[in-house]
Amino acid sequence: MTTAPALDPSTDDAERPGRQLWLVDVGAPPERLAMFRILAGVFTVAYLLIRFPVFVQLGDRERGFEGVGVASLLDGPVSSWVVVAVLLGTVAAGVAATVGAFHRVTGVAFAVGMLALSSYRSSWGQLLHFEHLFVLHLLVLAFAPAADAWSLDARRRAPVERSPESYGFPLALAAWIVVLTYVIAGVAKLRYGGLDWVLGDTLRNHVAYSAARLDVLGGTPSPVAGPVVGIGGVWPVAAAATVLIELAAPVALLGGKWRTGWVAAAWAMHAGILVFMLVGFPYPLFLVAFAPFYRIERLWTDRPSWLRSDDRRLSAR
Amino acid sequence: MTAAVTGALLLPVAIDRDGLPLSTYPMYSQTRGEQVSLVTARAVTAGGDVSTLSLGVIGESDDPLVVAGELRAAIGDGRAEQRCREIAERAAGWSGSADDIVAVEVVTERHDVVGRATGDASLVERTVHARCEVPA
Repeated sequence: MTTAPALDPSTDDAERPGRQLWLVDVGAPPERLAMFRILAGVFTVAYLLIRFPVFVQLGDRERGFEGVGVASLLDGPVSSWVVVAVLLGTVAAGVAATVGAFHRVTGVAFAVGMLALSSYRSSWGQLLHFEHLFVLHLLVLAFAPAADAWSLDARRRAPVERSPESYGFPLALAAWIVVLTYVIAGVAKLRYGGLDWVLGDTLRNHVAYSAARLDVLGGTPSPVAGPVVGIGGVWPVAAAATVLIELAAPVALLGGKWRTGWVAAAWAMHAGILVFMLVGFPYPLFLVAFAPFYRIERLWTDRPSWLRSDDRRLSAR
Repeated sequence: MTAAVTGALLLPVAIDRDGLPLSTYPMYSQTRGEQVSLVTARAVTAGGDVSTLSLGVIGESDDPLVVAGELRAAIGDGRAEQRCREIAERAAGWSGSADDIVAVEVVTERHDVVGRATGDASLVERTVHARCEVPA
C-alpha cells in the first residue's frame, strides 16, 4: 500500500519522555502522519456529511449575519448556491485529501473550505466552539507532507526522502495545539469565572441551565441532569477537576502514563459534558483530537489477524 | 514555526477577543447563579393556554446553542417582531402543534434553573418581546 520508507524504530521518539517538548527534535515515520491525515479526514468528512442539512440551511438565511473569522470579510450573507458549492467542494476535497490524492492541493482546499464553512456557521449570533480544534489540525496537515505514505500520491510517484522530523514536527505541532487549547480553556474559567467557578456551584448551575434551556426551547433535556443537580457537595470537586484537567494538559507531552492518564481524564470530562448537558464535542470524544500523541500508525501495522487476509493471500502466491 | 503558532493561539487571550479558528475558549467559563434568563418562543392557543414549540420551529436548527444564540441576538438587535413572524410561519405548518394555536410569543423567561431541574416551580419573571398571529 505504501512506497514510503519502512518504519524505522530509531526514528520513533514520541514515546521518549520530554522529547515532544522540543518540537523540532521529534521524529516520526511517514505512516504516523499519514494515519493522522486519514483519521482527521474521515472524521471531518463524516462530520460534514452528518451535518450536511445544517450547513445547507445556512444558505436560506438572510438576516442576523455577523461575520466571524474569515466570514468577517463578507459584507453579508452569500447566496445559497455559494454555500452549497463550498460545501460540496469541501466534501470532495476532504475525500481526496483523506485518500491522499493530489494532497498538496486538496489538503489546502479541504482545510480552507472547512475554515470557511465553520466561520460562516458561527456568523449568526452564536460562536460555536466544536470545530476549532479540527480546523486547526486540518490546517497543520494541509501544509505537511501527510501523503508521503498510505496515499494515492505515494502509489503514483517515486518515494520521497525526508527526515523523520519532517513527519514528526507536524504531529508535535498538532499535539501542542491540543495542549494549548485546553490550557486556554482552563485559563478562561479562572479569568472570567474566578475562584467562584472552582469553589462554588457554577458547574451545577451550568448543568441545570443547559437542561432548562433545552426544556423551554422544546428539546429533551438529559434524563440524568435533574437527579445529579440535586446531589450536593460534588460540584466544587467536579469543577476543580475540570479546571485541573484543562490546565494540566501539558503533562500529555511527557508521553507514557502521563499522556494516557491525561487523555483518559480529558475524554471522561467530555463524556460527562455529553451525558449531563447533552453538549457533545465529537472530535475529542472520538479520540481523534488526541491521535497526535500516539504511535497511531500501529492501528494498521499491528492490526488484528482477521484484517490481514489480504497479506496472507499475497504471501501465498 | 512553533513560536508563531503559539503566539497566534495566545493572541485572542491577550486581546480578550474570541474568534475562529483562534479562540479564548470561553465555553461555560462565566460564573452562573441559580436564576438565569432564557430566551424562547412559545405557542398560544385560542383559549390562552401556552405550550412549547420545537427547536426546528423556533430556530431551524437542532442545536439549542444556535437556536438560543440567534434568538437572543434577534431580540438584542430589535428584530423580535420579524423573528416572531418567521417562527409563526413555521409553526403554522408544524405537525407537532395543537390545532388551535393562534399566536406565537417571543419571550425572555427568568427561571430558577436548579429548581426546574429538580422538578420545582421555577418561573420568576417573563418578558414578552413580540406577539404575532399564526397564519391560517
